[in-house]
Amino acid sequence: MAYPYRHDREIRVISEAFGDTAARTAPGWRAMGGYQGLARALEIGRAATVDEVKASGLRGRGGAGFPTGVKWSFMPQDSGRPHYLLCNADESEPGTFKDREIIRWTPHQLIEGCLIGAHAIGAEHCYIYLRGEFFEATRVLARALEEAYAEGLAGPDVMGSGATIDVTLHVGAGAYICGEETGLMNSLEGRRGEPRIKPPFPAAAGAFGMPTTINNVETLAAVPHILRHGGEWYRQWGTEKSPGTKLFCVSGHVNRPGNYELPLGFPMMDLIDDVCGGMRGGAALKAVIPGGSSVPLLSADDCESCDLCYEGVEAAGSMLGCASVIVMDESADVVKQVRRMADFYAHESCGQCTPCREGTAWASRILRRIEDGRGKEDDLDTLLQISDQMTGTTICVLSDSLAAPVISSIEKFRDDYLALIRRGERVGAA
Amino acid sequence: MSGARFQNPGWAGNTGEFDLTEAEVRGGVASDGPPPDGGHPSVAPSLPYMLAAKEPDAPLFEGASAERFEKIKSRYPTARAALLPALNLAQELRGFVSPATMDEVAALLGLSSAYVRGVATFYTMYNKRPVGRFLIQVCTNISCNLCGAEDVLAAFLEHAGAELGETSKDGTYTVVEAECLAACGFPTCVQINSRYFEDVGPDDVPEILDRLKGELQGGVPI
Repeated sequence: MAYPYRHDREIRVISEAFGDTAARTAPGWRAMGGYQGLARALEIGRAATVDEVKASGLRGRGGAGFPTGVKWSFMPQDSGRPHYLLCNADESEPGTFKDREIIRWTPHQLIEGCLIGAHAIGAEHCYIYLRGEFFEATRVLARALEEAYAEGLAGPDVMGSGATIDVTLHVGAGAYICGEETGLMNSLEGRRGEPRIKPPFPAAAGAFGMPTTINNVETLAAVPHILRHGGEWYRQWGTEKSPGTKLFCVSGHVNRPGNYELPLGFPMMDLIDDVCGGMRGGAALKAVIPGGSSVPLLSADDCESCDLCYEGVEAAGSMLGCASVIVMDESADVVKQVRRMADFYAHESCGQCTPCREGTAWASRILRRIEDGRGKEDDLDTLLQISDQMTGTTICVLSDSLAAPVISSIEKFRDDYLALIRRGERVGAA
Repeated sequence: MSGARFQNPGWAGNTGEFDLTEAEVRGGVASDGPPPDGGHPSVAPSLPYMLAAKEPDAPLFEGASAERFEKIKSRYPTARAALLPALNLAQELRGFVSPATMDEVAALLGLSSAYVRGVATFYTMYNKRPVGRFLIQVCTNISCNLCGAEDVLAAFLEHAGAELGETSKDGTYTVVEAECLAACGFPTCVQINSRYFEDVGPDDVPEILDRLKGELQGGVPI
């Protein structure tokens, strides 16, 4: 949703038309400058399209932050095999709610981005892998895609260029792990969504064994604007290492939660205090998870000087991820919330790798025990030990994603854990 | 913008400073039934409608749905890739995916029954057993949880008269706990069949259930 709120400090590039129903139709999107980026990409050719996106410095918005133009340039030139573009619309990282908004308010923005991306990597087919739960958004996108085919924007002879680019909507069926790029490929192929070992990397052997590039919805949504206005134009916002604008999904204990499009490098405290109208009920800030549930927690002190760009959040001790800022005030029970995350990761673990399959479930049980007042101080050491063994030992980073909040919460909120443990001991002694 | 301003803080989309109706927020899909033939092939593989009208014995992929199944298969280089869309379509028709349904889908795609069961059981959206007319999925993950999602879940259980994960005696409601539904800014988010209801508080629950009952009586295929 979104847009209940807007703010003067926003720079609205991809969110400009949020809340405007006209943008859902091709004529409406054209009236806003839509499909000019695609026309230019087709005119300047594949290599120049990649160069333009490289020049913009756009980094992948799905969490990893890899430069998009560089990723595109990994695709082979004349492989003689089909190439595929996959759009990752399986948005399911807790705290993240931006892609659904892009899809349901500006479906043509995404379709245009997909067509440009497919053109840039020499793909004749793009699959948009949508979260199964996104029924309403998928319906909006389906209508827009039918319109795009009817108007010759997608399909054979895109905009009269002679190029063929098909787009197919593929709807998932409920599995967080399918948001992982190789898990998504397996799922698209009709398999269990288990991530694959890399190498081979997708650009060499991805979907259906063919050269494949996978990009997040927000990444592809930014591409039409970059092609239309140029890479340098996009660099007027953000920092040297994190150019451009980004949707920040703010949830939790703030007065005006929502999606705000801001230049990267925006100060965290300005986001909370100014853009989001401050803490709910004027309560004190306790903790922030800056990039979705998979990244380390930040304490209120960490947030003071934290700038919201890839390098800024890293310097503060966490990661920007997909910029899903979950704000907790002093009433929040950190142990309970970390336990809830552990339940989530235990549920979503695909079960291939032992450290993840066993570690997520074990961490969840220990955290539940502590929350219920049956924990011991030793449990914290066990949690840290398990988390250590869950980091960097598995095919994908799902287990690392639980280890990060567990370790950081014990480091930064140890007193919260100890209070529950000691209260339990007192009750037990009585 | 036409229609009455949609002001309910919650339901689908708090429109805040925007002047929109609920139908506009939802993209005009609220009362749309599925297009019989699934529409253009590019979109036929999608849209697993979760309908209130469930027919456990509906024939699989006959008539209009056979057409959709053919369109689905035409979009992929392998038959296997049509498996998830085919299971989605099967669930749309029957309301759940039984082992017998999995076997039928396996036969249609030339896959083994064991393989299809392995895949179908991997994904949580496939109902392995029948659910009520309305499947109510309440998010209790972190952002909603911080803002009271557990109270919302309790309210649904109480007013629907169902145990967690079970169906109410009259077969109307099944209430389950869901993982993050990607609407974290407007907690608590609840998915009911195909629709999202956002910004739901415990006090909104009776009104939402009344609305669902009304829709059921009105014969709307939601």
